[in-house]
Parts: sequence; structure tokens; C-alpha cells
Amino acid sequence: MTPSHDELKHEAAAYALGALEPDERAAFEGHLAGCAECADAVRELQRSAAALPHAVPQVSPPPALRARILGEAVTAAAPAAPAPVRRDRRALPPWLSVAAMLVIGAGALIYAQRMQARVSTLEAQLIDAQARAAAADRLTAEARTVALRAQAAMGVFAALDVARIDLAGQPVAASARARALWSRERGMVFTVANLPPLPAGRVYQVWVVTAQAPVSAGLLTPDASGGGSVYYETPVDIAPPTAVAVTLEPAGGVPAPTGAMYLVGKPSPL
Amino acid sequence: MVIWLFAAVVGFSGRPSESQAEDRGALRRVADGDSSGLGALYDRHGRAVYSLALRIIGDESDAEEVTQDVFAQAWRRAAQYDESRGTVVAWLLVMARTRAIDRLRARKVRPEGRVHDDDGLTLQQLPAIAPDAVSEMLAAERGQRVRHALEALPFLQRMAIELAYFEGLSQREIAERLEQPLGTVKTRMRLGLLKLRDALMEAQP
Repeated sequence: MTPSHDELKHEAAAYALGALEPDERAAFEGHLAGCAECADAVRELQRSAAALPHAVPQVSPPPALRARILGEAVTAAAPAAPAPVRRDRRALPPWLSVAAMLVIGAGALIYAQRMQARVSTLEAQLIDAQARAAAADRLTAEARTVALRAQAAMGVFAALDVARIDLAGQPVAASARARALWSRERGMVFTVANLPPLPAGRVYQVWVVTAQAPVSAGLLTPDASGGGSVYYETPVDIAPPTAVAVTLEPAGGVPAPTGAMYLVGKPSPL
Repeated sequence: MVIWLFAAVVGFSGRPSESQAEDRGALRRVADGDSSGLGALYDRHGRAVYSLALRIIGDESDAEEVTQDVFAQAWRRAAQYDESRGTVVAWLLVMARTRAIDRLRARKVRPEGRVHDDDGLTLQQLPAIAPDAVSEMLAAERGQRVRHALEALPFLQRMAIELAYFEGLSQREIAERLEQPLGTVKTRMRLGLLKLRDALMEAQP
């Protein structure tokens, strides 16, 4: 059975970002051909995606690349729809162009030899500098990810509405302990110790429990000692939390808790 | 392939129609087998294509090859370009991203960024390169707008978008990397793109 519109409409953003796996993409494209609503959504989202390459730091390619690209084009077969090449040359005697070419050629050869040494030195320097800039960019990007998380976590500590939730280990993990600091605006910092090692294909999932329903904060993969400290961005529009809990779930997580509860605790005044 | 079919009808460029008309003219010359058209396209967008490839693969010689491939493809397929499906620059950039991500996936394991020893090279020794100061300024301005909009997104939205677009991860891989359920990742990508759109619309003069 082909998947329905309701199942597929959530794939539009991933499609626009090129983040569907081949089978998912085939299914979505099949649907897209006949669904104006999804086609509109994709077009809208792709306008944003098309802006993304412009956010990249601009680096000049090595000057030699231009000549290489044009050279390749000229030597390659003509484009798919080759038009007759009609250059409007005034008829000159053939010997004239040959002579001119010889004169120009001789001059160019001397000039080219003189410039070549200099150009290759400069090029080598430029390529080296760009390589270093690119490496630095990558390191910066990685550092930025770490810094953004740290900054977000600091925001929680400094939030005026921060609530503390101490979690106690349940019978399956009696020695486990955890503490959550939750702020509606800033998210949640979650620190845990002594969780049992994860069985294969399983992951811990952290929940902010409200009067209405448990809301997923995110997944938790503890370190070798069963501990760790994680920042979660939590939804701002939920009811006040009545508890925070940790359950064991299938890898990849689930929308609502299904597995055994490992840790749970209620908010207490700071 | 189908991706670019839906690529932006209007980019978020400073003067979309004007520069699109120039690109269109250059591409028409390419279709007629005139390599000066290819030179013009390269002068206008070679830097953006190369920079995107470099950001994705992180290796200059691979980025050069991707750039070469993109323009070789533009040379061969100029006649197939269809304006109703997107701007010329969006067409080039979609080709660049697809090729760069293909290479990244083929490589699978991404080598660490090389850090060169300082061999005493100074900035003053570098040749000045200014192909077209005005268009570079416009591009820089637009780049800054998009960067700011991206930076203003909440952490998960921004990471989900960047991992998808620039690292070529699938939504499942992103969910694993960010330790979030798949459904959350889908929502964050959508919200992030919509917010990006709103921010860029506001910034339009």
C-alpha cells in the first residue's frame, strides 16, 4: 500500500534539505507528483534551503582553476545542442592572421615564461593559505557546536524561573541518581550517575512529565561509568512539570514512554 | 536531479531579476557553444560554487574538482536549463551541493582537517584578488543576512538544518547525532526553515 498524504506531509522539510534516504525520497517524490499541497510546501521550504549556501564563508578558488575549466570546455565536445559556430570575422588574407599569430606567439612566449615562475610561487602560497583557512573553519565549526551547547546550559543556570528536580533510582537501577535543572524559557540541564549499561538496540529517554502528558526532552547515552551531563532544549508551551523521568526505550526513541522507568523525581524548591 | 527542479524560483539575492537576466544571457551563449559565456558564469558564481564545495568537503583539491565538474555540466547541459524551475545560480549551487555530498559519502570517513605548520607566510605576501568588488559586496551582504538568520535559530533547529544541508546526513542519522527522536528532528527542520524564510523576508528591502 502506498503511504498516505498524512504520513508523507512531514517529509517535506527533510526533502527540501536533501535529508531523505533513497527509499524515503522515492516514496515522497511519487506522492509529490500528484499532491499540490505537498508540492507547494516543498517549494516554500526550498526557498529557504536555497539561501543556505550563501551563509558559507566565501573563499576564492585558485586562479588557475578558471583556465582549467574554460580549457576543458573548449576541448570537450560541443554542448548538448551544438549551434553552428558562426563568428563574424571580416575576411582577411590567411597569411595575415598567420603572421600576426607568430608575432603575438613569440611575444607571449617570452612574457609567459617570465610570469610563470612568479605565478606559481604566488599560487602555491595562496593554496597553502586557503588550506589553512579551511582547516581553521572546520575546527571553528566544531568548537561552535560545543560552545553553543555550553552557552545554552549556562542560560539555564542563570534563569530566574529555574526549578530543581532530584531523581531517585527505581528498583531496576537502585543506585542511579540524577538532577535536572529546568527553565521554561531556557531548557533543561540533566546530570546523571550510576545508570546501568545500555542493552544493545536500546537508549535511555528523558521525559518532562506534565499533568497532560509526558513530553520527550531527548535521548540519553551515558558514558562508561553510567554518568553524564546533557543539555536539552524543551518546549516552552507545556504545562508546569510535575516530574522528570528516565525510561529505557528502543534505539531512536519513541513519542511516548513505553519502557521500564529507571529514574523519577518531583520538582522541589531551590 | 529532481531537487533542483523545485529549487528557488527567486533566490534571496539582492537584485534577483537583474543578475538572473545576466546569468540567463551568459547561459544562452554557453548553449550556443560560446565559451565566453562559461567564463562570465564562472566569474560571477565560481567563488560561491567553490566555497560551498569547500564547506561541505573541507578539502581544497576536492572542492576544485567539484567546481570543475559543475561548470563542465553547465557547459554540457546549458540547453536543458529551465528558468521556470529556478535561477541559474540556484541551479549551479544545487549541482555543487549534490556533487560535494556524493564525494563526502564516497569517502565515508572524513579525515581530520589538516593543520599546517606555519612556514612564515604572511598575509601581505598574498596577491590581491578582486574580480568584481560590487558583486562581492552584494554577496557578502546577503551571506551575512542568511548567517544572522541561521544564528538566531534555536540550537536544535539550526543543527538539524546544518547537518542535513552541509554534512549530507539523512534525517535518521541526524536524530542519532542529536540524540532526539526522529519525529522531533522532522519538526525542527520544518520550523527552522520556516523561521529562516520569515527572517529573510523581513530583511528584504
